[in-house]
Parts: sequence; C-alpha cells; structure tokens
Amino acid sequence: MLIRTKHFGEIDLEENKIIEFPQGIMGLEGYNKYTILYDIEEGEKPTISWLQCIEEPGLAIPVMNPLIVKSDYNPTIEDALLTPLGEMSNENVLVFVSVTVPEDMTKVTVNLKAPFIINSDTRKGCQIMVENNDYPVKYNIYEAIRKMKEARKED
Amino acid sequence: MLALSRKIGESIIIGNDIELTILEVKGDQVKIGINAPKSIPVYRKEIYLQITDSNKEAASSEATVDILMNLFQK
Repeated sequence: MLIRTKHFGEIDLEENKIIEFPQGIMGLEGYNKYTILYDIEEGEKPTISWLQCIEEPGLAIPVMNPLIVKSDYNPTIEDALLTPLGEMSNENVLVFVSVTVPEDMTKVTVNLKAPFIINSDTRKGCQIMVENNDYPVKYNIYEAIRKMKEARKED
Repeated sequence: MLALSRKIGESIIIGNDIELTILEVKGDQVKIGINAPKSIPVYRKEIYLQITDSNKEAASSEATVDILMNLFQK
C-alpha cells in the first residue's frame, strides 16, 4: 500500500510491516497504526529509525535501540502490561526509545522511562512506563554518541 | 469533577475492579492504596505528563533525516 511519510515522501509499504498500537502512544492518542522506517545503505545497521504513523503522515518519532547508548539497559516491566501484544520471547521482542533532538545537539536525549515494546510476530506494540526509578524521561546521549562514533573510527 | 469525602481506611471503587483506599493522612500528604488489575497501568500524573510532553517533543522535532544521520552515523 502507498503511504505518505514525514521524511521519506510517498512510499510503498508492505501490509506486513504495519504495527498496531492498540492503546496508541501517550499524548498522541487516536492513532493506532505505525511502521518503522530507516534510511541506510545496504548491509549497514540502522542506528536511528522513525516510528512513522500510517494514519497521520506528519507524525513520525525518531527512535533507536536503547542498548546502543546504554548498554546495560534492562527495564523492569509488569508482565500483564505486555499480554495484549501476544506471547513474547527473546526472538520476537523489539525495544525502541524515542529520541528528542533540540536545536542544541548537545542536549539530545532518549526516553528510558517509557520505551516502545513491539512483538514482531503479532506486529503489535505499546509504550510502557517502566518500573525502574533510575531511568529518566530525558537521558542525555550526546557523550554516548560521541564515544560510539570514535570507536567506529578506530575499527 | 466528582468529589467524595473519605476517612482513613475507607475506599472508592471505580468500575468493577479498581479500588482506591485512603491509607494515611499526614499534613498535606495522603497515602493512597491502589488495587487494580495488573494489566491497567497506574501513573503518577507528573511523570505521565513528562512522557506525553517528551513524545510530543520527539514527534515535533524539525531535525531532518540528514541532521539525525549526521549526528548518529557519520
């Protein structure tokens, strides 16, 4: 199906790439269908992706794998909150955190407090507030990105 | 807004399966016990608002694909 996107114009999206968020996303209620988009050369691994809303082309949230910037990220989540997504396993669980990019790039943050959890088998997702008190809504990642890029240069 | 007066130890039932109990009152602070199905998320409002604000901010960022790719990949 053809969908319009915020950053990538009109694209042809396979139906099986649509992810349903039955409860929507906190503060952005009313939209339930999303997909994950990224822009990379073949063979590369994406660092940054976009959670693109299907129903509202102007709605796209930059997201990333939290382990890239916080390697010990291990949120505690109440199991019952995940049951609507279907049976979860290490193989089918995808975890993303939103990335907030202010004009001043050194203040780039991710939201460790409320990750997006997606079941890649059922293609259902939700945003959950985790129980960890030490995971902030605004976790600065500028230094982590700088180190990541330096490490990559040394490879 | 519905306002109900309750004493310590008294409860309020919402729907069929959510129960709020006043546990303790100390000065201007009230301790509330919440009995709800585990599938129902319970939030402190100020943290809930931080998350809704953060989502809106992340979504409204005008950082283009190029800016983000430069920040992360290059």
